[in-house]
Amino acid sequence: MKKIRFEEVSAAAQILVRYPGRSALTMLGLAIGVAAFIAMVSFGEGARRSVIAQFEMLGTNLLVVSPFSGQREALNKAVQPLTDSDVQSLRREATTLRDVIPVARSDQDVSHDGLHHWLRITGTLPGYPDLHSWTLVGGGMFDLTDVAQRAKVCVLGATPARILFGDADPLGQTVTVGGVFPCRVVGLLATKGYSAGGDDLDDLIIIPVTTFDAYWGSAAGYSRLELEPLRPSLMPAAEREASEILARLHRIDDGDDDFKVTSPIEVIRAVERTSSILSDLLRGIAAVSLLVGGIGIMNIQLVSVAERTREIGVRAAIGASPTQILSQFLWEALVLTVVGAAAGVGLGLTIASITAEVMQWPRVISGPGIAGGVAFALGVGIVFGFLPARRAAAMDPIEALRHE
Amino acid sequence: MISTEAPASEPPIVDLRGLHKTYTFGESAVEVLCDVNLRIGAGEVVSLTGPSGSGKSTLLNILGCLDRPTAGAYRLGGRDVSGLSRPAQAWVRLHFIGFIFQSFNLIARASALENVGLPLYYAGVLRNRREELARDLLDQVGLGDRFDHLPSQLSGGQCQRVAIARALACGPRLLLADEPTGALDSRSGAEVLELLLRLQRRQGLTVVIVTHDLAVARRADRQVHLLDGHVVEGQERAA
Repeated sequence: MKKIRFEEVSAAAQILVRYPGRSALTMLGLAIGVAAFIAMVSFGEGARRSVIAQFEMLGTNLLVVSPFSGQREALNKAVQPLTDSDVQSLRREATTLRDVIPVARSDQDVSHDGLHHWLRITGTLPGYPDLHSWTLVGGGMFDLTDVAQRAKVCVLGATPARILFGDADPLGQTVTVGGVFPCRVVGLLATKGYSAGGDDLDDLIIIPVTTFDAYWGSAAGYSRLELEPLRPSLMPAAEREASEILARLHRIDDGDDDFKVTSPIEVIRAVERTSSILSDLLRGIAAVSLLVGGIGIMNIQLVSVAERTREIGVRAAIGASPTQILSQFLWEALVLTVVGAAAGVGLGLTIASITAEVMQWPRVISGPGIAGGVAFALGVGIVFGFLPARRAAAMDPIEALRHE
Repeated sequence: MISTEAPASEPPIVDLRGLHKTYTFGESAVEVLCDVNLRIGAGEVVSLTGPSGSGKSTLLNILGCLDRPTAGAYRLGGRDVSGLSRPAQAWVRLHFIGFIFQSFNLIARASALENVGLPLYYAGVLRNRREELARDLLDQVGLGDRFDHLPSQLSGGQCQRVAIARALACGPRLLLADEPTGALDSRSGAEVLELLLRLQRRQGLTVVIVTHDLAVARRADRQVHLLDGHVVEGQERAA
């Protein structure tokens, strides 16, 4: 029985040899459908992973406190800056935090040997790169002694290092910051590239927060406080606790905080939600194109059955049962589907690879995506192959033999 | 009632009794076959003649289990086949009946070997054995050197030989030939007829030949003439 089944398939496969042109046309629609499906799944997944990877670069075990006026200004209520006393209180009182790192920022000119570059100066503490999982490729981070002494030292991002020094080694060299003070380069940051928003993450220079204060003052307060929870799982508790402490310090009693606490993880989750909706949408569109491919198979098989009416009559006359005729045309549809789907897998993977290359996404080969596409294609082939096959099987042999 | 009795004493291969076939078109009904009684013995060659519209094709379709009588009984090899379902009819056609058509009706895109092997394929014979049998059959019809030729690469006479080989593939008891020489020139027609009769004698086949050609009809053991759905004449060949 098994062998006969195999022979049925191989007999049906002869359609590829006997009607090569028509077979290719039949398969084209389905191949494109499968390719679109696989490419879409791969696009969606690649885009998603790429966006998430970019957000993860910003640090995931991290809470950010920033000043937030909300409705307060409109209501004429004071917005207090984030100050050193906030930092000290959080360090002293919070039980869920490992570290609190103040960050002061200002856009300034940095120059070296006649070359100038305008960038964001970050005044902070030695723990900053670690908190952002940022490694150094040369030298080291300044330490707490440098902070205590308001040392004129800096760590350069990859972009200013390239612009100001070209191929030369910036370590130990001096840059002039803000046109006012010379600063020795003690460390070089690894490259992070661009954020999802298109910002150059490497375009920065880090100096001790005390040095920053000495030149630009801290009256306006810190740009943000970065909080590191003891564990990622403590994130919600840490967020609550920090909010309570700060609200008390800022004497907020109406719940209308003058700061806000956010977490990159929330952003990542939001991005994940959005991109999974996008992926579903892409899959849906691809599924429609598969369906259209299936209808193509049905149409061409219907034409094929009509054209081969006489052949069907002959087969019936010499003793083929209706079931055998049904099965012949169903297998033909299936053979076309399988070959078309296989071609579609190849095409889809090629498209996905090229896109990943061009878009600089991670190249995602989704096993479930391929399996899903092929399974859907097979289902479509069986369903849409059935109607023409049934029509062939139901033909009256006498009528069919009379057909010209 | 005119009845045509088979000369042989053994049970007939074909036994039609009081056969009627009526086609209904809305209100009107046309009786195409009317009270046909016919027995054909094993190994007998019968020619079926009659003007167009006389019911030849319908009778042939019923004999070939492609159609069913409206009334009456058809026993094929002793078995009543007048009320079979479509799959059962197909089974009978496959195992008991061989068809030869005027226009050969070969599968155009299949080789001679594949055409001959087709009934064997439907009978569930596996590929190797099938090809072996098909080669043997093509040898018997004198086409031992044309296995891989497509019908378009063969002459009319050769195509009809392939069709004969195909009709014989499953070892039928009854061969139905519808104008087998009608599409051939007189010479290859005569050759095909001789081949057919030679194989018939060798295998003791029962053959019904529908023909307009009196020369062909005269080669039969018995001539059956149809007129307006009635069998009007049963003439045995002068020995």
